[in-house]
Amino acid sequence: MIDWKDKQLSRRDFLKAGGAAAGGLAALAALGSGFKQIDRAEARRLQQAEVKTVYSACVMCPAECGIAVRVENGVASAIYGNPYAPLNSGVLCAKGASGLQMVYNANRIKYPMIRVGERGEGKFRRVSWEEALNFIADRLLEIKRKYGAEAVIMDCGDVTDRDPYYYLFRAFGTPHTVEHGAICDTPRRHGPKLMFGGKRVEPDIMRPVLVRQPDGSLKNDYKYRTRLIVYAGWNPFTATRIVYESRGTVEAKLAGAKIIVIDPAFSNTATKADQWIPIRPGTDPDLFAAVLRYILENHSDDDPFRRYIDWSFLEYSRGWEEFEAAFKSWWDKTDPINGLNYFSLEWAAERTGIEAETIAELAHTFGITKPAAWVWGMNGIGHHYNGYVASIIGTALNVITGNMEVPGGAIDTELVKSDKGGRAKGGHFLKREVTRVINGQEVTGKVEELHMDLFGKWTAAWDDVVGDYPSRFLEGVELKYGPFRGHKYPIKAFFIRTGNPVITGSNTDKWIEALTAKDGEDYRVELVVYIDTPFLETGLYADVVLPEASYLERMSLSDIYPSHQLLYLRDFVIDKLYESKTQYDIAWALARKLYEKGDPDIKPEDFWEKYPTEEDFWNEALKKAPGRAHTGEPLPYPHLPVNYKLYGTPDSLEAGNVTIDDEGKKVIGEYVTVQWLREHHGVAVWPMSWHRFKNGGVLKTDSKKVDFTWDYDLDGKRKGRYAKYNKLIEEAGEAPPGIQELGWEKYPKTFYWFETLWNPYTNPDYAKYREEYPFQVISGRVHHAMSGTQMVDWLGRIPTEDLWVPLNDERVVDEIVIGENGPQPTGRKVRIPKGTWSIGVIQMNRADGEKLGLKTGDLVELETPLGHTTRGKVYLVETIRPGVLRLPFGGGGRFSPGLGKTYDFRDVTPNANALVDPDHHSPIMGMSLYGDMIVKVKKV
Amino acid sequence: MSLDRGSEAGPLASEESRRSFLGKFASVVFAGLVAPAVLGDTEPVRAGPAAQAEGLVPVVELPEPVEGEHPVQRMMEDLQRALQKPVEQRKWAMVIDLRKCTGCNGCNVACITENKLPPGVTYRPVMTETHGTYPNVARRFVPRPCMQCEDPPCVPVCPVHATWKRADGIVVIDYDQCIGCRYCITACPYSARSFDSGYFYGDFEGGERQPYELLPSPEYGENRTRADGGSPIGNARKCHFCLHRIERGELPACTLSCMGRATYFGDMNDPKSLVSELIGQPNVMRLKEDMGTDPKVFYLV
Repeated sequence: MIDWKDKQLSRRDFLKAGGAAAGGLAALAALGSGFKQIDRAEARRLQQAEVKTVYSACVMCPAECGIAVRVENGVASAIYGNPYAPLNSGVLCAKGASGLQMVYNANRIKYPMIRVGERGEGKFRRVSWEEALNFIADRLLEIKRKYGAEAVIMDCGDVTDRDPYYYLFRAFGTPHTVEHGAICDTPRRHGPKLMFGGKRVEPDIMRPVLVRQPDGSLKNDYKYRTRLIVYAGWNPFTATRIVYESRGTVEAKLAGAKIIVIDPAFSNTATKADQWIPIRPGTDPDLFAAVLRYILENHSDDDPFRRYIDWSFLEYSRGWEEFEAAFKSWWDKTDPINGLNYFSLEWAAERTGIEAETIAELAHTFGITKPAAWVWGMNGIGHHYNGYVASIIGTALNVITGNMEVPGGAIDTELVKSDKGGRAKGGHFLKREVTRVINGQEVTGKVEELHMDLFGKWTAAWDDVVGDYPSRFLEGVELKYGPFRGHKYPIKAFFIRTGNPVITGSNTDKWIEALTAKDGEDYRVELVVYIDTPFLETGLYADVVLPEASYLERMSLSDIYPSHQLLYLRDFVIDKLYESKTQYDIAWALARKLYEKGDPDIKPEDFWEKYPTEEDFWNEALKKAPGRAHTGEPLPYPHLPVNYKLYGTPDSLEAGNVTIDDEGKKVIGEYVTVQWLREHHGVAVWPMSWHRFKNGGVLKTDSKKVDFTWDYDLDGKRKGRYAKYNKLIEEAGEAPPGIQELGWEKYPKTFYWFETLWNPYTNPDYAKYREEYPFQVISGRVHHAMSGTQMVDWLGRIPTEDLWVPLNDERVVDEIVIGENGPQPTGRKVRIPKGTWSIGVIQMNRADGEKLGLKTGDLVELETPLGHTTRGKVYLVETIRPGVLRLPFGGGGRFSPGLGKTYDFRDVTPNANALVDPDHHSPIMGMSLYGDMIVKVKKV
Repeated sequence: MSLDRGSEAGPLASEESRRSFLGKFASVVFAGLVAPAVLGDTEPVRAGPAAQAEGLVPVVELPEPVEGEHPVQRMMEDLQRALQKPVEQRKWAMVIDLRKCTGCNGCNVACITENKLPPGVTYRPVMTETHGTYPNVARRFVPRPCMQCEDPPCVPVCPVHATWKRADGIVVIDYDQCIGCRYCITACPYSARSFDSGYFYGDFEGGERQPYELLPSPEYGENRTRADGGSPIGNARKCHFCLHRIERGELPACTLSCMGRATYFGDMNDPKSLVSELIGQPNVMRLKEDMGTDPKVFYLV
């Protein structure tokens, strides 16, 4: 036994012996890294730390959970879920908890920089904010003078707290202010938008919900009433956008719900399902259509075991007969690819690869089990050319079975979330009149009528078309509709903030081509500005790089999809690091520069005089909250009038401390403010109710009913979501290209059907590729590694879903970090031992791999019929349908040094978007076809 | 103090070491997240005495429930009740419902941030098991904290009595006593212990330590700063159910964060606690039951 007195000595001896080898799960070992001793004063400062908890909103992913951040002496030290925010109710995923390594990261952009090399070379020099803003303002004004403000795009990327930028750029005069929805899942949102004015249908499994009780009290309801959830192409456990679907799904299941997951891959959500249905990619519309046909054909009002349809939906909908007739009109038609009748079980079985009995059982189960929710997702439906069809049928399925808005049923979260923004979004600037000279004629119209999509190539693309920007950068814009028809303009400035379209906005090479195209000596897009906290690939192509404060250093409001009105504050948690600035700081500083340089559109009374502080600005945005019709059962505030829009804090509405505007049908209490939120754990919660479609309720359609037709006559006026686009088409005499591509003259009035692209099993045009290109390629969201968080060490060590796996080889790399002049070698060599760092892989069915003579870890090349390629290591597993390869979206081929270890393995990791068809977009909303591609596999 | 060996100090603990230990840590409790400390020229003075009740974090106040209760609220109430009892009357236990674990690893990272764990040290990894052949496949996620065994194989192998089971059942390590021999790491049948080799995250990205890893770790209420090169560098490290959190009425980091609300924590000596209720379910199991370690981490399957 060791002598106690000598224990210190012994300890040091052991240290000497043990220090060299990393124990346990040590993943990485650094060479040449010396210990940096901290001095005693520093240690004392840290030990005497002041500790506080700050409530805020996460933005490591778009779920934007409520967080409670522990701050020790000004340093964020741990991030927890905020238990007062019912959306996540105190829980937080790995990504949320690891936010510290995003905020404190060697690869953060620290200073403003201006490019000194060619675009893509990554050569920059540090400049002052003054110089950067002067540079930007001068060019913006020159572009505006030469080409008009519409030549400028402000893309606010993946993060939603963008209102100051919207405000500035709309004031500047461009209609092009966009966010990430454009490259997310627009076809998935289409059905709810047409039929409800909504966006996403989700199951009623957010708990707790605050509900008015019969005795008048407000209480938290924890009960799960759902009996069945069908998740089609939706994997909430790893794509945690709708965060409550993690705990909600498993809790609902324990409370008796059946969970069915339809997905080509055995996702984490599928691990908890009662049934996993591995569907052939791109055939969700086929499955959905067969389910709807089965329900219509087999429904019986008299037989309780086949009473699928709840006819009460007719009370709050219109146009069902026309929709049904259009749907049924396909039943007798023969499909050229298999000779079977459309939407029949056999037809669907042939296309989807699911047995006919399984489809019949699914349809019967969904029809008979109530309450239930039919939910479809982003990758499965949103990423396909014809995802609209699935989205429309999915919406109809929830409506006709009586599941919309019933307790335990389905909710369109877009319709019931709190409103916010208001004038802070700057929408009023878009109404300003401007004049343009078109073919020698002076034409006057509104700023918004200069929009390149809505009055140009994609009239129905209400979420914009970022995936098609490369063609606009290269070819320019020609407006085809509205007062400015015939107006041509180039895109000359592209601002990208918290987004990375080079990797995520359609085909990578096409984006690079567009950003580097030149006219003579000059780049065609004259100004590219990259604004973000991390340095991602698109930053390499920027002329100016601006450091935005991280989400713990800036203020804004959560943008979330709960089951009822709920809002929380993103607050200043720590001081801004390096020279970063908040969105407000940046927008206001640039506004000032533009004003000083004589921009007539920027007025002090709209900016620093109106909103002198950041809090003033967000208080403006909060005036719209909650902003929804006061409706449903149980009625949230029995003492307030029904169907009036509510504004104000929950406690002012509860107390009846309100002004009632009968003419405007508004109830206005005390506006929610930043300060009010701070005093309430950062959260405002208004009560939940159900049956909110009643008497119009929260519906946002023209008819205030569920619309089954989309271009119709209502009281002598032409109404419906497609009506205004059809009017534009009729006036102009030509349809937009996507509509022409489908062989249509205009947008259909009701149900429509068309096939997806690059699918040899459903579209006869591609059947010829079946043998040579035997694999369909899809992508999965790896929550840990989506696009911009792969420099986070903690997440790099955690494998996920057979897509993000420690298959790395051993390497000693020359370290590069983002320094003051951009990416710079540190001179250190870092050794990354084999099998210690998760990298993006190609998920392949084991039997498929063995047929090709492959084993896990083999490097292969995928090649599309268009000749696009990418490389990666195969991971042979039983968890994916044969004939399908799944790649992590944004998980490989990452060539920004700002991504740390992920960058170091860029040569052996696949970039899913290198394979995307650059020239086709989904025809109605212009979404990139991330999920429609086929490849052959070659061992490298 | 959290490290108190209490009345059930390990059989190898000598009276001498116990006395010196108690002398060093005068109190059975500590208050606050990072207790005020004054640095002398030679050695830091650690957490001072404070009244436990005052130090407790208030239970989360949520609207009244229609029925049932928010599990965080319930477990915090359980904690408060347990903390009113003498330490030897508590028996901390964790229940992990594998039917609800979504494999997100939120617990794993929350634990790392809470305890300021360096590269190579994890207290709560989440294991993944996959079975079957397409299309009949199953996958299970198994979070693996320290089992806080009633009869911990890691304790008797320690040559310097640096690790022992507390009176409330938590197996702790005295970093000052630990000589880093790693016998305990080898002895643990659950691989629940790891070795702190002295790395920092900054070593692997840029070479400069990041602010969050310069902060003192709240473990055992000792506020040790690894950045000065001392313990726990060179020590064995393990999950301690976030002892520093539970003693002030807060749930362990993993329990609070769990995305699927699959993790429960409380006093299994209290028949009214949520964990006691869950341990009484027919679908409960423990890992490596046959080894006779008598773990206090229970799984619902």
